[in-house]
Amino acid sequence: MSQTHGKPDRGSAPSTPGWVKMFGIIFIVLLVLVVILHLTGHGFGSHMHMLIREHGVQRL
Amino acid sequence: MIMTPGLRKVALTAHVTSSLGWFGAVAAFLALAVAGLTGQDPLMVRAAYLTMGLTTRFVIIPFAFVSLLSGVVSSLGTTWGLFRYYWVLLKLLLTMLATIVLLVHTQPIDLLAGVAAKTTVISASLHSQQLLMVNASAAALVVLLVLTVLSVYKPRGMTPYGWRKQYGQRKGIAAIDAATHSRSG
Repeated sequence: MSQTHGKPDRGSAPSTPGWVKMFGIIFIVLLVLVVILHLTGHGFGSHMHMLIREHGVQRL
Repeated sequence: MIMTPGLRKVALTAHVTSSLGWFGAVAAFLALAVAGLTGQDPLMVRAAYLTMGLTTRFVIIPFAFVSLLSGVVSSLGTTWGLFRYYWVLLKLLLTMLATIVLLVHTQPIDLLAGVAAKTTVISASLHSQQLLMVNASAAALVVLLVLTVLSVYKPRGMTPYGWRKQYGQRKGIAAIDAATHSRSG
């Protein structure tokens, strides 16, 4: 792991690579999707506690 | 602090083994989750959820923590650093996120394993949790695959912090060189 990429030699910092920006966009889209799923009741939050009570289950 | 080559190889071996072990264990978990969701044989469904509970607790969670820890050690102990390159930073963030999501999902896994331990019939009210196991493990496999791709390809790109560090080091070396030349000349 001694190999290095992108050796800057000028006074200004290099701009953020395109693949990082793409990664960020995909991550934000997925995050919004997960939040929407949880808000519409497809997550397991409070429903989970109800199921645990209903089935009287303890941790293994 | 840069590690010795021997120590670096130990950390890297632990990182590769735990990361791929994590991937393999989640792949097996997905197969069991699908078997639990679609299986017709109650005994097989029960065995699937019991195995999922044990695999999570004794294989997946330990591998996740060893992968995270050995990754941090490997990065800090080499010239890559932890915050210098985007691919290392993204790996750290994704691994942390995957570990947190995994810990959050131990609750429904425990629920299904607990029900399977008590009865052979999985209630219809648990269908959403059974489906969640399939979706969550499939998503985890994608994240773990992305982590592996990042490690292998090491896409280029230095963070502003990494750039400042490297620029500072170069300026330091150049100043030492200039001082040496002026003394010898």
